[in-house]
Amino acid sequence: MLEKIKALSTEIENYLISSKEDLENYRLAFTSRNGILSQLFEEFKTVANDQKKVLGAEINKLKQLAEGKFLMHKEIIDAQEENNDTNKKDLTLPVIPNQLGSRHPLSLTRSRIIQIFERIGFNVSEGPEIEDDWHNFTALNFPENHPAREMQDTFFINKNPDILLRTHTSTVQVRLMGRQKPPIRSIMPGRVYRNEAISARAHCLFHQVEGLYIDKDVSFSDLKNTLYYFVKEMFGKDIEIRFRPSFFPFTEPSAEMDITCLICKGEGCNVCKQSGWVEIGGAGMVDPNVLKANNINPEEYTGFAFGMGIERMTMLKYQIKDLRLFTENDVRFLRQFSGVV
Amino acid sequence: MPLWWLSLVGQKKTNMRISYNWLKQFINIEESPEELGKILTDAGLEVEAIEKHESVKGGLENVIIAQVITCVPHPNADKLRLTTVDTGNGVVLPVVCGAPNVAAGQKVILAKVGAILYPVGQTEPLKISKAKIRGEVSEGMLCAEDELGLGQSHDGILVLDTDLPIGTPAAAYFNLTTDYVFEIGLTPNRADAASHLGVARDLKALLKKPICLPELDHFKAGDNKNLVKISVENSIACPRYTGLVIKNVVVKDSPEWLKTKLLAIGVNPINNVVDVTNYVLHELGQPLHAFDLQKIEGNQIIIKNAKDGDKFITLDGTERTLKGTDLIISNTTEPMCLAGVMGGKTSGVSTLTTNIFLESAYFSPETVRKSAQNHGLKTDSSFRFERGTDPNMPLFALKRAALLILELAGGEIASEVQDVYPHKIKDFEYEVSCGRIRRLLGIKVSDDEISTILQDLGIKINNKEQDILQLSVPPFKVDVQREADIAEEILRIVGLSKVELNPYLGANYLADFPEKDKDKLTALLANVLADNGYNEIITNSITKPAYAEKIKSLDVSQNVDILNKLSEDLAVMRQTMLFSGLEAILYNVNRKQKDLKFFEFGKTYHKTGDKYLEKNHLVLFAIGNTTNESWIEKPAPIEFHDLMKMVQMVIQKIKIKDVKLEPISDEVWIEGLAIVKNNKELGRIGKVQNALLKFADLKHAVYYADLDIDLLIKQSETKLQYEEISKFPEVRRDLSLVIDKKVTFAEIEEIAKKAEKQLLKSTNIFDVYEGDKLEAGKKSYSVSFTFQPTEKTLTDEEVDKIMQKLIQSYESITGAVIRK
Repeated sequence: MLEKIKALSTEIENYLISSKEDLENYRLAFTSRNGILSQLFEEFKTVANDQKKVLGAEINKLKQLAEGKFLMHKEIIDAQEENNDTNKKDLTLPVIPNQLGSRHPLSLTRSRIIQIFERIGFNVSEGPEIEDDWHNFTALNFPENHPAREMQDTFFINKNPDILLRTHTSTVQVRLMGRQKPPIRSIMPGRVYRNEAISARAHCLFHQVEGLYIDKDVSFSDLKNTLYYFVKEMFGKDIEIRFRPSFFPFTEPSAEMDITCLICKGEGCNVCKQSGWVEIGGAGMVDPNVLKANNINPEEYTGFAFGMGIERMTMLKYQIKDLRLFTENDVRFLRQFSGVV
Repeated sequence: MPLWWLSLVGQKKTNMRISYNWLKQFINIEESPEELGKILTDAGLEVEAIEKHESVKGGLENVIIAQVITCVPHPNADKLRLTTVDTGNGVVLPVVCGAPNVAAGQKVILAKVGAILYPVGQTEPLKISKAKIRGEVSEGMLCAEDELGLGQSHDGILVLDTDLPIGTPAAAYFNLTTDYVFEIGLTPNRADAASHLGVARDLKALLKKPICLPELDHFKAGDNKNLVKISVENSIACPRYTGLVIKNVVVKDSPEWLKTKLLAIGVNPINNVVDVTNYVLHELGQPLHAFDLQKIEGNQIIIKNAKDGDKFITLDGTERTLKGTDLIISNTTEPMCLAGVMGGKTSGVSTLTTNIFLESAYFSPETVRKSAQNHGLKTDSSFRFERGTDPNMPLFALKRAALLILELAGGEIASEVQDVYPHKIKDFEYEVSCGRIRRLLGIKVSDDEISTILQDLGIKINNKEQDILQLSVPPFKVDVQREADIAEEILRIVGLSKVELNPYLGANYLADFPEKDKDKLTALLANVLADNGYNEIITNSITKPAYAEKIKSLDVSQNVDILNKLSEDLAVMRQTMLFSGLEAILYNVNRKQKDLKFFEFGKTYHKTGDKYLEKNHLVLFAIGNTTNESWIEKPAPIEFHDLMKMVQMVIQKIKIKDVKLEPISDEVWIEGLAIVKNNKELGRIGKVQNALLKFADLKHAVYYADLDIDLLIKQSETKLQYEEISKFPEVRRDLSLVIDKKVTFAEIEEIAKKAEKQLLKSTNIFDVYEGDKLEAGKKSYSVSFTFQPTEKTLTDEEVDKIMQKLIQSYESITGAVIRK
């Protein structure tokens, strides 16, 4: 019997299985109920007891070998079959379209700005859009006869006392100085208004973000550092920044901030009027008069402030050329921003 | 684009044109126009454009003086000649010429191959190239005046009578100049720079070179016989008035050099006298005015306020009604000039004028500003007076102009110089600390460097003790009156690019963040909404008054009206978020975009008494189908629960628990729910009334939710604490309740909560039946209850007991029949 087992073992090892038919023939020959193995087990019952231990072990080994080979080849052949299935599903069929919504591009820019400044310890402050003359002009060192105070630039709600729609987020600087003693470190995004007919390049409302940092010994160098950091984070490490002296009633010294034109990368194009630079905002050291007007001692504290246009930055970032797109809310425009992180 | 500070504060920069050549008269400039432009921009005089100005277009490049050596008739053409011309350095070229006057030996103008000419009267430029004319080679063109763009004459080629050597550029022969004009955006604080002298003063400090003022040595005043009597009645409005008389001038066109200069900076030449006043204005920043002496009735100049209602015709021909605040220059009978703004039509200089009175004054900025505003005028003169001119300049400018007039118009100074200046305007005197300036700017600049810069800018340093400088700032530096202003002067001369960056950002103070950060929470919600198919919109908060009238619960008397509205459609601040959203929907529907899910964070504005209220909202809109057409499932029309699902996700996301839902029907929503927490309404959601949709031109059902975002944030829980997961299995039991149609699931849920406070974990509904198998007015709700024990496993008996309690409650409270 031992010889028989050995012979069978060799036979099994050498049995060639390459198709489903081969596998079935193999099964019938060896492992099925009527196969050779079953017969062998029947024979085993008749074997003398003293041989059973040795032979039993051998038969079990043979059984494992036979079944092992079957299972292994079954897996291979099944896998082959699956691959050859002609009734496979078309997995490229589309999912239900437009399942993802979008945030408005101005919100994306706003959020991005906030994230960047939060990382360097600026919190977010807000103030009303309907403001009085004090917060919009007087406390910001606008002289009594400043042209901005006249009707043509500002939407007025009431005259004497003057109530108006704020023309800049700088009002929130004043609000903040009114409710918090220095140090102050905050950015103030928000909606502002201007009496302009709506066109591709002008709108009666838009959005700004204001920044204010007041503490002991805050310098222009701190301002420059902060805005360099912001611009590199916002627009990329390869973007250059340029400051030009300028003038605002509420800062002294004042500067305007240009960055490398994002459209032409500084080569010169229509957007930057061939200069290679585009303006993104204004900045400066808080004017001592503003500090005084808000009960902060300019001998003790200094500070910087800056203001930037959210529409402006959004237009540069996504190369949007018409302001009206932002408030028309064409869903074909909005959906383009579903994939923005 | 009005998107940042500067334009927002309503002080657009004023464009000023400054000539490169003109600047060179004041200061030695080696820098190219481009380099100089950059220097000026960096110092706060933003050069927005540089324009090239050539007195002849193209500048006559490649055009030279040449001499005709030979001249013979062309073999193949009667009217042409063959010439050879010497172009200098021994190069002789063949040139075919058609002019009858060409002859050997003449010095002529040759346009060489490569030259581009702009002949008078032709739109296309003329390019000179090597050509064969009737078989003969020609390498250039001998030019007539008109061909060079120099004049009208076409009477043959120009024949020169000159000693200049052959080969000399024609531009040198004709004294052609090329100038560059900087267009500078002048900020309102830089009144001092509104002239060529003003810009040169900055360059003195920037380039560290001296500037030289025009010579006045030849000035010689006349005697006192021809004085015009000057009386200043309002010396506050007119602190200084100077003048003199020039007789026997010949008024005519200005010479070319003056015309060219004025044209380059955009000023139209008029006549020699007026041109001189304009020239000096742009040179020194001092506006001047020349009167025809004959028109000064009574030989008297009176500077006084106008009478309200007086009529006066300005030189633009407009009759103006004067106001009492207008300062006028008058003779004994009538006004002659609106002081500092514009002269009169009749009193000015004309070609008939032979004697003039020249005025140079300092008017107060407020007075001129008011007058200019009153009459809607903005002139080169008013622009400068409004911002503040130099009170020390009138006399100098008067003499300068007088000398130029003598040079160009002849005549003689016939009077003494009169200078009415009762109260001298003093320098601004104050002290500054160099140390504080350094700290404010964060730059390394020594006390000495600071002193040098200030002195270069014309500021006197009276004394220095330690780091404190005692300054005298001349009044032409109108905007330099404090230490911060001095710091700005230092910064712009040193250069902002010189401010060094620290390797790290200062973190002496980092702001506190609130526990409930509104901005973070709204961003969180916005992302949830966007992730679930909603598109964020931003709509105009200025809207039509008619909208608030449409919703009765909105009080029209609470409208925040805009006094100077843009139009009837943009006249009031919105009191509801509904219509601006519907407008966005309509915009898209009209463009065949019909399946829309929108959200917006926005404000509404209300006036109560003299207080103004701004409310923050989160609104959601849904219209059309839930999904686009797809092979997976048929698109279904959006229903109430589609929007409600989103609202509930919002509520869940910021952890507001245990809200109550109360059915509503009001003038905005046909049917809907109020979402209530602690007796406060968080918002409303439902289907919009058809009348409102119709008013907004929409035909399809719109679902709309309006949430009070401030309240949502207030009610949100910021803390999250882990709850132990029970070791004991939960148990579910179902009930089928046949109830009246008016009973709500919210009530069913509430009853269950009250009946079993301890073990009930959740109540869910898995089947709703309304149909003919039930009595009319009835419906069947199949409800499941899940119980979660925390201390031991529930036995069947215990659960049965609870269910019995529930059944009894339903039967007694709602009259429910339990279906077995």
